[in-house]
Amino acid sequence: MALNPVPDHVPPEMVGDFSLFTSPGMLPTPDGDPQAATACVHAGPPIFYSPFNTRDGRGTWVITRATDQRRVLQDADSFSSHRSIFASALGENWPMIPLELDPPAHGVFRSLLNPLLSPKRVTALEPAVRERAIALIDSIAASGTSCDVMQDFAFPFAVSIFLRLLGLPDHRLHTFVGWANDLLHGDDVKRPAAARTILAFIDELAAMRREEPVDDFMTFIVQAQVEGRRLTDEEVRGIGVLVFVAGLDTVAAAIGFDLAFLARHPKEQELLRSEPNRIVLAAEELLRAYPTVQIIRVARKDIDFEGAPIRKGDYVSCATMIANRDSAEFECPDTIDLMREDNRHAAFGYGPHRCLGSHLARREIVIGLEEWLARLPAFRIKEGTAPIAYGGHVFGIENLIVDWS
Amino acid sequence: MHIVVHKAKCQGHARCWAQAPNIFKLDDEGYVLPGDINVAQEDELLASRAVRSCPESALEIDRTSAARFEPAEMQPRAGEA
Repeated sequence: MALNPVPDHVPPEMVGDFSLFTSPGMLPTPDGDPQAATACVHAGPPIFYSPFNTRDGRGTWVITRATDQRRVLQDADSFSSHRSIFASALGENWPMIPLELDPPAHGVFRSLLNPLLSPKRVTALEPAVRERAIALIDSIAASGTSCDVMQDFAFPFAVSIFLRLLGLPDHRLHTFVGWANDLLHGDDVKRPAAARTILAFIDELAAMRREEPVDDFMTFIVQAQVEGRRLTDEEVRGIGVLVFVAGLDTVAAAIGFDLAFLARHPKEQELLRSEPNRIVLAAEELLRAYPTVQIIRVARKDIDFEGAPIRKGDYVSCATMIANRDSAEFECPDTIDLMREDNRHAAFGYGPHRCLGSHLARREIVIGLEEWLARLPAFRIKEGTAPIAYGGHVFGIENLIVDWS
Repeated sequence: MHIVVHKAKCQGHARCWAQAPNIFKLDDEGYVLPGDINVAQEDELLASRAVRSCPESALEIDRTSAARFEPAEMQPRAGEA
């Protein structure tokens, strides 16, 4: 892997020995807790330079305080979000939309998409989400006293909801999950191959919906207008790719981390089981404890930030898991307290790019936990197994075998 | 109690609405509606929880005495759907 040298403008004393990819606890680890492992940075300065903190081996400034992350993410004039993450895997340069557009262009597309995933719209989707959760859990309950939460519940649940939203068929679920897995977690061969496959799929879907409109997301996009005109092919593609990639494995990972926590903490499990009305609040604490995303911005100009000489073009990392362990923002941040209030966590980011799918994600997590606890007895990690968790660009959990025999 | 809504700071997290849907109203995109809010005494606890849960600090409890004596006709959109 290419390792970029520390740029000349970074003072040596500001270089920190930390990386979301290679630090202890970040590589796939049985019984690992990668989010907790990031908390070590709070013993150091509020900002430091990490020489290897992106998938392609680039360094980033790391912002450790929640309040400073908020400042960076709210300040799109100084910190751009255009990195062309997806396109660069293909040696191309176009934005995923709206994530990689900066204001004011960002706002035009954000306004177009917001109503599709607004709290109001998500409320309307809720019965279908619950129905899907119940069907999966009932089938798990009927087939034995053990299952792999990821394979049997988290992925089929989250991904099928998402496919329904997009208007895509359920029977291709495993294919899509495979693509997303290769793209987000694959090596230098699998990643571009997956990117090409996804791109071809999105282009083909857009062409089909142009020809024969139906009532789904992609039809909406190809028919939509911004500033009095239709979207260009590149814009349709930029939206399609983002929505496809962003929705495929994030909610599944969250549900995996949450059920792993409950499997290991019978008292907390019992609390939510006996008082299910606490689940909504508890889900916020679980989002705080187990966020999955590192958000990166690119400096648009030279900025001195809390004593750090950030120069134009530098990457600035706002890792949500680091903000969520900041003791200035959260009392006893390393304690997972399911009754915690005032939980202004960073799991969905801050600023204009706040996760577009956050309202749907929240409801899926809450409904998933509600139905799981209502339909299955007390469960634990199956003896002799260990869930494998990992850090990186998107944190995740590979397997979670639980047992209620 | 009087709550100042910094509309420009709202990024649509909708945490206020989740806590107190009768006090905080959202537009069709999911952002808080503009206009400061007067909160009835019995709703103060709920409203202050909602204020504290805003990730962007877009809501602020106004504790100045002037706010408390604001004439009733200046009350904004509290009852609007």
